[in-house]
Amino acid sequence: MIRAVIADDEAPAREKLERWVAEQPDMKVVGSAEDGLSAAQCIERLRPEVAFLDVQMPALSGLQVAAQLELSRAPLIVFVTAYDEHAVKAFDLNAIDYLLKPYDSDRFARTVQRVRERLHSHESGAKAIAIGRSRDVSCERLLVPDHERLQLIDSASIEWLEADGNYVHVHTAVRTYLLRRTLQDLLSQLGELRFMRIHRSIAVNLSCIASLTSLFKGDYEVHLRNGRILRLSRRYREALFARMGR
Amino acid sequence: MLWVVFWLLMISVSSQENFRNPLTRWWEPVLWEGSSALVATGWLLLAVRIRKRHALYLDRPLVWFGTYLRWLPVIIITWIAGAYSIRHGVYAFVGRAYEHPSWGFVAVYESVKLTIFVGLWLGILFGIDSHGQWQRQQQRLLEMQRALASAQLAHLQGQLRPHFLFNALNTVSALMHTDVARADRLVAALGDLLRISLRSSEGEMTSLAQELRTLELYADIMRERFRDRVALTWQVDPALLDIPIPALLLQPLLENVFKHGVERTVARVRINIGARCEDRNLEIVVSNSGSLLTPGHHDGVGLRNCRDRLRIVYGNAASLIVHEEGDGVAARVSIPLAGTTP
Repeated sequence: MIRAVIADDEAPAREKLERWVAEQPDMKVVGSAEDGLSAAQCIERLRPEVAFLDVQMPALSGLQVAAQLELSRAPLIVFVTAYDEHAVKAFDLNAIDYLLKPYDSDRFARTVQRVRERLHSHESGAKAIAIGRSRDVSCERLLVPDHERLQLIDSASIEWLEADGNYVHVHTAVRTYLLRRTLQDLLSQLGELRFMRIHRSIAVNLSCIASLTSLFKGDYEVHLRNGRILRLSRRYREALFARMGR
Repeated sequence: MLWVVFWLLMISVSSQENFRNPLTRWWEPVLWEGSSALVATGWLLLAVRIRKRHALYLDRPLVWFGTYLRWLPVIIITWIAGAYSIRHGVYAFVGRAYEHPSWGFVAVYESVKLTIFVGLWLGILFGIDSHGQWQRQQQRLLEMQRALASAQLAHLQGQLRPHFLFNALNTVSALMHTDVARADRLVAALGDLLRISLRSSEGEMTSLAQELRTLELYADIMRERFRDRVALTWQVDPALLDIPIPALLLQPLLENVFKHGVERTVARVRINIGARCEDRNLEIVVSNSGSLLTPGHHDGVGLRNCRDRLRIVYGNAASLIVHEEGDGVAARVSIPLAGTTP
């Protein structure tokens, strides 16, 4: 059974999609959302095989939802939009599935067929995520779990990131969030501009660095403005010096 | 610049000429031409000061020259009086007498000379001024063309509204499978709305009743899309329904309510549309709850278009204000009730 999540803020549009997905013999709607934030939550919680995301939604657009998903565990994504020339151009370039509103059952059937083929060949939503991240200032905000819910935080408020197995601790001045993401995937979303790796499992927000202190044998300590001291490993030293203008 | 070069030349030519005459000292020609230059400069400064007032007549050269040449007699008299008293004064100061032909001859001779002189410099001033004015006119023309082009573009964008259209069609396509009667009503409303926007043109006036009907059609379609997320109330004074207002003036205001108020949140939004008479003005308010203006917000295409049209029809007598009110945003149009001319 192909499990699907559907997100659209307009009830008639959502219901149409729900009905048509449910009519497929091998598909099942496991969750519906009426805004981007609950769509991301649905995907996180239900781990569907495919997600139909409306591009224009309150809180987070479909593209923004895709941008916040973790690459390795993301579902196949089908974007649905009424009119967005630029998005459609991006979709075309990457040969990703999308539905243009209004669509008929033939067009929908073609999309569903393509979803089946892609799932069969073990493709993921990587292309959709890449489009979402390139089209949007996804590096400016990060979706983090907050108790049972998800919330958006400014990436400028993040001081440092710490990998821990399959998880990443996201440290802000106020509190720490635990994300089920890899550090590399998170850094590829947040971009190189603000964050930089200083250790295999640690990345810092460059604007939070107060000073560097040298230890023996070319090792350094990174002192953050909040007083915390982190190890700078030799492997990342030159790159950091270059960025800090040394 | 030109003026300074001209007088330096005059002085040097005059000095050259008198250089061979052993009876004249070197400073004498400098004094003659210098005194002339001084008085003439006074007049030139005056002429430059009032040139703005005369710029009006630049496209009628005869009138323009006439207004300046009126002053020719005064110029001649003050010039002779000024220049000759300076020369007499300086000569007396060094203990000599300034010798010149009889006053009668001086008057005639200097008059002819000054007339030619003033004519020459007025010609130059005319050239400079009319070139400047031509440039300013070109500039204004360019700005007007640009404004017109952007207004037309805004109008086109406003009319097409592809996002609205495709979403409405998608709603029809969804309703068709569940509620044929509702889908039918939606198609009819969409048809009516398209008819109205195709029929109306920029300068056209319509009644308030007709304009509110357009809003109702638009709201009906949007309410099908967003279903129970929208609650709409009308507060319209029925006595005002026949008042003429520019066609399709209000629709951009309601579009904004949906774009910024409804589409941004899944919470329920109250929309209020009101029309009443206040201080001999027709006051139309389109407001919504639950969303505030973004900090540093500026007018979008829709609002700019509304303002432009109000200014074209009513001059400064009408206004459009968008402001926060309670927990939402209100757009207020005020149109003078007496006549449509500014």
